[in-house]
Amino acid sequence: MSAIATAAAGSPPVAHALPADEYFGSASLGKIGMWIFLLSDAFSFGGLLLAYGILRGGSEVWHHPGEPSLGIPFTAFLTFLLICSSVTMVLAVAAATEGHRRETMIFLGLTALGGIGFLTGQFHEYFGLVPHHGLVHEGLVFGHSAYASTFYVITSFHGAHVLTGTTYILVTLARTAAGKTNANDIEVLGLFWHFVDLIWILVFTFVYLL
Amino acid sequence: MAAHVDRRTYWIVFGSLAILTVLEILVALPSMGVPKVPKVISLITMALSKAALVGLFFMHLKHEMRALKLTVALPFVFPAIYAVVLIGEAGWRLIR
Repeated sequence: MSAIATAAAGSPPVAHALPADEYFGSASLGKIGMWIFLLSDAFSFGGLLLAYGILRGGSEVWHHPGEPSLGIPFTAFLTFLLICSSVTMVLAVAAATEGHRRETMIFLGLTALGGIGFLTGQFHEYFGLVPHHGLVHEGLVFGHSAYASTFYVITSFHGAHVLTGTTYILVTLARTAAGKTNANDIEVLGLFWHFVDLIWILVFTFVYLL
Repeated sequence: MAAHVDRRTYWIVFGSLAILTVLEILVALPSMGVPKVPKVISLITMALSKAALVGLFFMHLKHEMRALKLTVALPFVFPAIYAVVLIGEAGWRLIR
């Protein structure tokens, strides 16, 4: 009631406005909402990975002659980049929890750089940063085989999440610079970014390594 | 004065994730000659372990209340069953 009254009066509602819940403790509504969203998003990825598994498990030839293999060393580097960005994100959350705004901004900036680096790497993997390189030019074409189509659908859906996450980080960084965020905002952002990393861990294994 | 956050756990998790990633690549390399079944089992186990580390420590699920942990974890039971049944069925149709 008090939180509603505060919001109605025009002041921004704060994360700790509600009393601790019997089942969810002091988890904010934003945090619980993000978890529920991530669950639904996880099912989207789950559906894609299931379709991938069914198509691959039921196909006599998965990797057709003439189609390029996926570059494991380069993608392993991108995986490591995402893991590093998860560390910088969790350090941003720690800094925000301790009330260190400048440190929070530095780690958010480093995390965004990790996201931009990953997206650049994915572009290079698909199309090549130099002419005549990239999987598209080497013969892995969407629609030509289940191997190619599932690869592009799953990795580009993940790439869209990295793009969304990077944008989310940059917007939050700008809002933090303006003093408009609190530790809860950074933690909720962190949940999304770690989810992007978590999903990539699974995509890397199922699509690239297996 | 805001609470101090112990960062050691984060670095331990980071190291574990890096080591597991290197192990995954080694297991996956054709030149290592790992047989198919142990390769598939070990890669899936390592991937799920890495995902669990991120969820439990980076996303702080380990420190959440039981209700939130169950809210997040329980819905994955059915997709896991679907995965085993449907992928297994597709493979079975291929080899029978």
